[in-house]
Amino acid sequence: MTVRRIEVRERVMAKNDEIAVDVRQRLATHGVPALNLVSSPGSGKTLLLERTLQDLGDELRMAVVTGDVQTENDADRLARWTDRLVHAVVTGGACHLDARQVATALEALDLDDTDLLFVENVGNLVCPASWDLGETAKVVLFSVTEGEDKPLKYPKMFRMARYAVLNKVDLLPHVPFDLDRAVACAREVNPELEFFFTSALTGEGTAAWYDFLWSCVHTPVRS
Amino acid sequence: MHEMSLALEICRIAEAQVGRPVLSRVREVGVLVGDDAGVEPANLEFCLEALLSQPPFDGARVAMSLEPGDDLRVTYLEVDDDGPPN
Repeated sequence: MTVRRIEVRERVMAKNDEIAVDVRQRLATHGVPALNLVSSPGSGKTLLLERTLQDLGDELRMAVVTGDVQTENDADRLARWTDRLVHAVVTGGACHLDARQVATALEALDLDDTDLLFVENVGNLVCPASWDLGETAKVVLFSVTEGEDKPLKYPKMFRMARYAVLNKVDLLPHVPFDLDRAVACAREVNPELEFFFTSALTGEGTAAWYDFLWSCVHTPVRS
Repeated sequence: MHEMSLALEICRIAEAQVGRPVLSRVREVGVLVGDDAGVEPANLEFCLEALLSQPPFDGARVAMSLEPGDDLRVTYLEVDDDGPPN
């Protein structure tokens, strides 16, 4: 038996990252910032998007790529507020979106007729952290019904994110959630993280979120 | 959680390196896994072993090395040049 050793040294994510570079280039060419919303299931990504589309839809041309795993429930909810919606094909059980799915989704969008792109990732605080989708920035959501230590439990996601939305603040009087501790936990893993405090249900705190979205459209956000 | 898709990508990289007919003669696949790569090494090894035990592979071993950091890459392939042509 003559065994030959072939040195490879190829990164397993290389193909994904190559496509992500293309996606980023295409978005830049059309001047479209893209925010990749990541969170555990139930933090309020879809409701925050619904409210955002409802409140800013007359002024901002916002497109959404959504990644429902098993149903089309999120896509159906968002379709009420925008016709710039692409349901990324996610086979049952997938734990993240990858760059190829976003690249394919972009084919269905007119980027010249788009000011801002949201990618609503699969609800999962682990896997989506590892996949570059070509986004401008990751925005991590968590909510006051979760533990304050979520950032410490899922540090990679909070490290990869540039922005954090702490949602469901309308419930703060009813739950034993220490907001300062949550922020401290997040800043422990990512001191640069910028926070928004919202209730997607009542609209509380969304003004600052909307100001941020406008600033993304007018000036590129830091990635 | 996405170890199977990573294992499939590792198989694709192997195929791109040596070509599909040679995959049955791959004896070992070297994989480097960083501890911050978002990968459970035992799970990835299990998925890879399952894929490498069936055609177009023919029982290649997985040689996994762990190191700090977020790197995840195929480091080498060992191919039996005397094996039967496929």
